[in-house]
Amino acid sequence: MSLPQSLRSSVTPPELELVASQQLIEIIPLIAMEKTAFISGAFGPLQPPRKTKIPLWMAINLKLKKKCHIVAPEWLAVEFLQSCLDEELNQPGFSMLPFRYAEVSKVLLDIAPDDIQSTDKIRSLLKDLREARQAKSREGLDQLNRGELSLSNLCSLEINEIRPFFVHAMGILTHLHRDASTEDQL
Amino acid sequence: MSSSSASAMDWEAEYAAGVFEANTAALYRSSKSRKSRTSALALDSDNEDQDITMASASTSIRARTGPTAPILDLPQDDESPLSQLTRHWMNERHAPDILPAEEELLASLLDHIRRQSDAVQLLRGEPSASEEEHIRIMLVQMEVERVKFIVRSYVRTRLFKIEKFARFIMTDATIQTRITTAERVHASRHAHLTDHHFHNSVLQSLPETQSHLDDTPIFMPPMSSSFSSSWILTHLTVWLFFSFSFLLLFFLSLPVTKPDNSRAVFVHALRDCPPIRFQENLTLEMKRGHISLMPFSFIEQLLLRGDVELI
Repeated sequence: MSLPQSLRSSVTPPELELVASQQLIEIIPLIAMEKTAFISGAFGPLQPPRKTKIPLWMAINLKLKKKCHIVAPEWLAVEFLQSCLDEELNQPGFSMLPFRYAEVSKVLLDIAPDDIQSTDKIRSLLKDLREARQAKSREGLDQLNRGELSLSNLCSLEINEIRPFFVHAMGILTHLHRDASTEDQL
Repeated sequence: MSSSSASAMDWEAEYAAGVFEANTAALYRSSKSRKSRTSALALDSDNEDQDITMASASTSIRARTGPTAPILDLPQDDESPLSQLTRHWMNERHAPDILPAEEELLASLLDHIRRQSDAVQLLRGEPSASEEEHIRIMLVQMEVERVKFIVRSYVRTRLFKIEKFARFIMTDATIQTRITTAERVHASRHAHLTDHHFHNSVLQSLPETQSHLDDTPIFMPPMSSSFSSSWILTHLTVWLFFSFSFLLLFFLSLPVTKPDNSRAVFVHALRDCPPIRFQENLTLEMKRGHISLMPFSFIEQLLLRGDVELI
């Protein structure tokens, strides 16, 4: 078959990670490399103590070979995540987190825990955030109708998580409405 | 030193050549890129040219997209071909319908992939490569594989939809404008094959009135009428016969499957969008960055214009 069954209804988390890995991230290289043309653009030159921005997948690869240090993005810090969590718990809406925060933070915490400060605290904050946001998105199911549902600031992995159920539920509501309106005409 | 700087030159020139050629048609691909490679190698002598090439390349991008931008109304002028393809790939994965084919974009990316792999082959031949050089080659190769994955997944998603809607594509003229010639040929062959198969396996042995693949609803005997045993017996056989053929068709996927445009999708506004009208005088104006769940039919036009993306 042209597309495996598992890929038909939705995108998979590894695919989302692939997309997220195209984002740029700052590194401190430990090797020198000349400016190189890649399909996604030209990156480099790498000169050991100087910070450079390269795609995340490249940084992961170099990090695994111990050829660079990754500079954690600003949002991957205890203060920022704590403020997000506070906002999450006190405000009705979703807090402003980067769209692909879940993928990026997972990869960084797996690959480069030594480049991030207080990883344990960050891990538990991310987990709390995830739970708080998940609870909110489930409450959002209340407002689901056949027209439109606004979900601003929801992140890509969270959308992927609620997608099957929400899409199905909306489909059923549309069907019910269609059936009701045809019955009215009869 | 000379070998490494020469190879650096090659990379730069490859990049510049890639930019210049981004829009050339697929037919001219091989001959043109060969020409540009020889010219790239000819540049070898002076290192000073590197930055100039890069600069002129980037201005040429702007010059190229400049005049077309207002007409096509592209979301971001500086969006790289790869991120464009990634966006189209995700859209295609989420949309219930087949979206317009991105032939030119795909051709230019495939061309770029081929040039990058050629360059890798060329550099691999060099015996005096340092460790840094190895890492560089490996990174380039890795990117090529990543891009190949996206290209493959994109094409396969389209193929899946085309096979699914093959019979519908053959009857609908508007959907045919959105697919490439090769895809249309595939759809017609697939539709023909399944027709043939259905006919040979089931339809030819059905009575005349039922022996064609139309969308007519399947007759269901009413359950509440007379209850004479003979009635039940005759109708039961008919019913069994129908349910058998129906099930068979069902398992082979229903004959004329249409895209369900009322299926809900998650949309992300790439810029401020004009208001969308819902049926009952309800409008929604999406600001840039807005995320929303709504039926595909409402945002189809915005998606085609590139105002929104599916996530």
